[in-house]
Amino acid sequence: MIMFIDMMNAIREFMDTGGQVLTVIAAVIFVMWLLIFERLMFVFYGYRKVKKHLQQTWFSRSEQHSWYAEQIRTALVARGSARLNQNLPLIQTLVVLCPLLGLMGTVTGMIEVFDVMAISGSGNARSMASGVSRATIPTMAGMVASLSGVFASTWLQRTAKRETELLEDSMPVAH
Amino acid sequence: MKKIINTVSGLLLTVTTSLSYAQQAANLDELLSQLEQGKIAQSEQNQQREAEFKAKLSQQDQLLTSAKNNRDQQIALSNRLEQDFQNNEIKLANQSDALNKRMGELKELFGVLQQVAGDSKSKFQTSVISAQIPGRDVFMEELAKSMGSSSKLASIEEIERLWFELQREMTESGKVAKFTTEIVLANGERTPSEVTRVGGFNLLSQGKYLEYINETGSIAELIRQPSARYLATAEQVTLTPAAITPFALDPTGGSILGLLVQAPDTQERVEQGGPVGYVILAIGLVGLLIALERFITLFIVGAKVKRQLKQPTASGNNPLGRVMLVKSQNPDIDTETLELKLSESILREVPKLSSRLTLIKIISVVAPLIGLLGTVTGMINTFQAITLFGTGDPKLMAGGISQALVTTVLGLVVAIPMVFLFTLLHTRSRNIINILQQQSAGIIAERAETEKGA
Repeated sequence: MIMFIDMMNAIREFMDTGGQVLTVIAAVIFVMWLLIFERLMFVFYGYRKVKKHLQQTWFSRSEQHSWYAEQIRTALVARGSARLNQNLPLIQTLVVLCPLLGLMGTVTGMIEVFDVMAISGSGNARSMASGVSRATIPTMAGMVASLSGVFASTWLQRTAKRETELLEDSMPVAH
Repeated sequence: MKKIINTVSGLLLTVTTSLSYAQQAANLDELLSQLEQGKIAQSEQNQQREAEFKAKLSQQDQLLTSAKNNRDQQIALSNRLEQDFQNNEIKLANQSDALNKRMGELKELFGVLQQVAGDSKSKFQTSVISAQIPGRDVFMEELAKSMGSSSKLASIEEIERLWFELQREMTESGKVAKFTTEIVLANGERTPSEVTRVGGFNLLSQGKYLEYINETGSIAELIRQPSARYLATAEQVTLTPAAITPFALDPTGGSILGLLVQAPDTQERVEQGGPVGYVILAIGLVGLLIALERFITLFIVGAKVKRQLKQPTASGNNPLGRVMLVKSQNPDIDTETLELKLSESILREVPKLSSRLTLIKIISVVAPLIGLLGTVTGMINTFQAITLFGTGDPKLMAGGISQALVTTVLGLVVAIPMVFLFTLLHTRSRNIINILQQQSAGIIAERAETEKGA
């Protein structure tokens, strides 16, 4: 319990030194990883059922070579691909947003530094330090968040592409 | 010129007077006799004067001697006084020597007294305890002054009072005390109110932080209060001062809280951005409105398309239905023509679904660019200030720089949600287009087969 409180205090202190932008970045990271986990769950568990259903629909057809059959196959593949690619653009956007938010934190932090300069002159390095920490911490947090998301989103995209191709190959057209 | 006029008029005057004399004399002989008589009268007068002076001669001698006597007396007095002064100097030196000898270590004590009194004075002036117990710094200042003058000695009472005040400061700084005094509210109103003092750190009243202004000796409510979770602890302390409660105190005794007042709030920040900032905000507002309109439209269209997927008959009120109508309108055409007609009708639907989305994308790109523009103009202003006033005043430059940075922030503040909104809307519209492009043919084929089978 005490360890938990200590942890909460440490996090709160970190958030305070980072300023309001850090809270936004934290929210973005949270949403991003929530979406990534949802995707991972789908790729590993939910997708199998979808794939099986699509393949069953295709193989249960009596004829597999007419124009109609080809159109139906395209539609089936497109349906699978759509399920696989769901939310991926959103994850990528969040990955791109993180450094932007970090940049915003930098600029707001610099404003704070210059505010301190405007009030107390350039001699007071100690009072400028809080602004500098607000400028640097969000940048770092944004970078870390973006890096953590880049790998996940790239992997998800490659997987979605590969799985779509596999699905297409697994439903042959009879000529 | 004036001088000349004066001399000329003077000459004229003498001429006229001599003329008047001449007029009195009837002829030259008469004038001559007159002159002679005058001369005689003058010499008589002179003789008379001489006689008078001689008569007074002895008197003048007397005056002279008395003046000399007086002078001698004064010189003697001066000498005597000078002697006295020297004697007194020696006596004084002896006496002060004796005083120094007798004071001995006491002198050091008085030095310490003066130093302590001076230090305590400045400490008491800034201490919030002075809000409860005023007037302590006055006593300290007087004590330090009288100690510094070296002609006065501190009395036992004064030394004891110093001790007492130091002890009182120490004791009070360990207490959470309540007292009633007049405070100045944020709107300038003065009301008597109950004030809670937390040691030597903070003053609180009704869950709000106060500041002690030493110059006027008044207690004022801070115009800007710290964030709500700190205020909650302050409220708790004012309600239950005896119990142990967590409290956010300002260890500097008010100077950190004082800086809060100087930090500008959001509205002042936006105003710092100037016209460029307002342009960015206006663009952001336009983008938001477009996004809202798109959201509603795409939501309605998406719902209709989903309903259409489940319904067997095509209706004309949604894109998918309109594409599917192509088949039912042309029941007997071959597959290749059908495919062409389908892609043609899909092409008709796509612009309606993806319209104005590029505008949001453009806004998300343009907003940071305008922010950059604001930064550059702000820097130009800063450098103009440097050209005019030099680099001597960092405050002058800092104001311009913070103005430049605000526009960058505004640009990012507008761009970030726009990127986000664009992705959401783009995904949504692409999903619908995807259904149209890749699945409409499939759906039609399925329907046709079921009809055939049936």
